[in-house]
Parts: sequence; structure tokens; C-alpha cells
Amino acid sequence: MGLTQPWMPCRRRGSPILPSPARISTVLRACADGGANRLYYHITEGNRESFLPDYISGDFDSIKAEVQDYYKVKGCELIETPDQDFTDFTKCLQILQKKIEEKGLQIDMIVTLGGLGGRFDQVMASVETLFHATNITPTPVIVIQECSLIYLLQPGKHKLHVNTGLESKWCGLIPVGNPCYNVTTTGLKWNLTNHVLKFGTLVSTSNTYDESGVVTIETDEPLLWTMGIKNA
Amino acid sequence: MERVFTPLECLLPTGNLTFCLLILNQPLDKGYFHPLWSKAVLRACADGGANRLYYHITEGNRESFLPDYISGDFDSIKAEVQDYYKVKGCELIETPDQDFTDFTKCLQILQKKIEEKSLQIDMIVTLGGLGGRFDQVMASVETLFHATNITPTPVIVIQECSLIYLLQPGKHKLHVNTGLESKWCGLIPVGNPCYNVTTTGLKWNLTNHVLKFGTLVSTSNTYDESGVVTIETDEPLLWTMGIKNA
Repeated sequence: MGLTQPWMPCRRRGSPILPSPARISTVLRACADGGANRLYYHITEGNRESFLPDYISGDFDSIKAEVQDYYKVKGCELIETPDQDFTDFTKCLQILQKKIEEKGLQIDMIVTLGGLGGRFDQVMASVETLFHATNITPTPVIVIQECSLIYLLQPGKHKLHVNTGLESKWCGLIPVGNPCYNVTTTGLKWNLTNHVLKFGTLVSTSNTYDESGVVTIETDEPLLWTMGIKNA
Repeated sequence: MERVFTPLECLLPTGNLTFCLLILNQPLDKGYFHPLWSKAVLRACADGGANRLYYHITEGNRESFLPDYISGDFDSIKAEVQDYYKVKGCELIETPDQDFTDFTKCLQILQKKIEEKSLQIDMIVTLGGLGGRFDQVMASVETLFHATNITPTPVIVIQECSLIYLLQPGKHKLHVNTGLESKWCGLIPVGNPCYNVTTTGLKWNLTNHVLKFGTLVSTSNTYDESGVVTIETDEPLLWTMGIKNA
């Protein structure tokens, strides 16, 4: 899914965190409102026909008329979602899940490009969508922009493989939205053992990895994992 | 007791606001830099913030833009930059403690200097901290939580078109009629749910409402005609707003 945020040139080659292009394939592609502008003007100019999203959804207050017309003519589905109680990102995710179910697809991950830069309220709105995502889809949703990735860990145990070679050094655990009273990790330089993570007390930022290539996290409450991605 | 202030007052070319300026290690907008620098009573850089000052903002005119001090663990500041400011008489204060960020430690030093000089300060303005690495954006927010224990002065963080300010529990009145406000604003329960939030002055107001990630977060909100926003909250709540381009 492409959101309406500045895209860096390194993203032209797609999603670099996917470890093995032969094994992983992108099966559905969508733009949320102005994400279509980004695709049209900044990424695919000169070769637009090879990069047609399956659908574009949103309240269409950002997408340019020229862009909307182009993709309509090319046969992309345009789905207007005027509901102002949810962001374009959240609504795009709802539609995506519906299509996944309709097509009977087995999906491992939903990758979102954009959402972590620009207006601060919109960065927070992206995080909020990750909270809603749990009720929208069982598939993990990650958000990537420039050198950052975020992923919301649900209560329970998690094992993250961080040895693709595309990880940069930094990572963090951010108790956005609620304190976490019992967090235990392995695989980090500064691990936690039954620790509290809470804004005003302790937030794990500028953390890094040990040699193992694997991070485990156990948390009692939703906890945001964030990590750096090497430039493509 | 109601806390009253005008978040963007520091960006106005004139006025009586006394404030300090902290520069963090992020791309610096030239737009508001000069009015902020010229009106600040104390100016500091946190570690690599000095690089930004040296290379990106003041090149060709560095002598007119010497910070009062530069603090940090000095793992980001370039040797050339460190030497230059040292020779020019800027105080360099090394703060190696890895439990706190350079921003937090810079704020602690600032408060000490404010007290030593018995300055009356209305606001602490931080440039940078809201872009780049996501963990560092969150670290800036974390510093605002710690700031309550460091200084009684309001601390705001500005980068590009965004401002953030942590509202403590209680009542707040924000004047948003400087003319520099862009349309958007928001209320973000970033560290904890807020169970009782009431606002006026917004297009979508709240009345004894819950703000909580996963339930409701106020983003892409905007203002009514009044030019004043009031917020009452039972828990710390992050105010965020847009700034027009300079």
C-alpha cells in the first residue's frame, strides 16, 4: 500500500527488506488517496503502465484529477471511502482484507510504504492504524518509510529474525498508547527482564543487536517495535 | 489553574517572549532559524546539532552564530566543528550518561544555567527532533515527559511544519491566532490513555471523551473561528499542530 508521504528514491526498487525476491512476491498493490500521486509523478513517470495498482481508495481529497483519470482509464479500481472517522490508511487496509478474503489468498505480510514522515499528526495516525489493524486483518502489517520500520507487537511472545543483512544498527521498543509492565527481551544489546516500558519512565531507543541475529520479545501489552533499514 | 500560552509566539518577529533555543541533530529549517536565534536569550546545541549549525545554517557567517554551549556524548559532533566552537569560546560539556538522550541532558544543563543566571524564561524552543529515525522521534517525545521534572518552563519541539508540546493534567488555553498556524492540529495520547478530555476551539471537539490508541486519537483536526483552543485532560496528552512555511 502506498500512502501520501514523500517517497525516497531508494524505494524505487520496491521493498528492500524482503529477504529473497524469488520466494516473496507482491500479490496485491494499492494506493491510499494521494499515494497514487506519488506513484504517478515520482516513481513511475515514463513507465506508468507497468505500475498499475489493483485499486486506489480514499476520500479523494488528495489525489489529483489527472492521476485519478489516468488510473481509471487504465482499469484500476477506484473506491471512494468518505468516512471521516477513519484515515485513508485504515480504510485502505479494510478493503485490502476484503479482497484477500474474496480471492482466497494466503498472505504473509502487508507492507505499507510511507506514513512515518511529514506531519507529526499523520505519523501518529499511522501508528493508530496499526492498533486498528488487529481487528481488521490477522496478517502482520508493517510500515516503512526511508530508513525506519514500525510494527506493533501484540501481547505475547515474538521472535524476530534480524539477519537479512538489510538491517541497520538501531532498533527500539516504544510503549506507544499504554505502559507495558512486563517486557522481556533477548538478542538486543540492552535487554529487558520483566521490565516496565512507559513514557516518562523508560522507552527503549537507540538500542542495537547482539551477534545472534534473532530478537525475542515478550510483552504484556501492545508494544511498538521499530528498526532501521540500510539504504538500498 | 489554567496554563495559558501561545505555541507559535516564539516565531513572531517581534514580541516580549523570553525563550531559550536548543538545536538537535536534524536537518534545520532555515525559515524560522534566524528569528529564533536572534531573539533567544540562551542558545545551545545537543551534540550533532552543532554540525547542523556549522555546515547547514551559518556557513560563511559562523562567528555571528556561536552557541552558549554544546553538550552531549559527542559521538555525533565532527572534530572540525568541535574544535571551531571550542576556539571561539563556546562551552563544551560532555555528558556521557547513556541512560538519557543528548536532548534530555542538554535540557538539564539549560535549566541549571537558567537558575544560575536567575533568568525568567517563558519557553524553551527545541529545533529538530521530529524527523529522521523513528526511534529518535519517540525519544524526543520521551524527553518531553522527563522535562516536567527538569524544568517548570514549557518545552516545545519544532521541525519543519510540525510542533509538539506535552500538556500536563489540568486545564490549558492555547492561543492559535498568530497567523503562523497552518490548518491541522491533533491530540495524541502517546504514553497512556486519557479518560477525560474536554476541548473547545477545535472543529471536532471532545467532551469528557476517552483518547486512547486503538480507540480514538485526534489527528487531522482543525480550528474553529475563535483563535483559542482550550483543553482539559486527566493525563499527560501531546498537543501537535502545523506551522506555515516561513
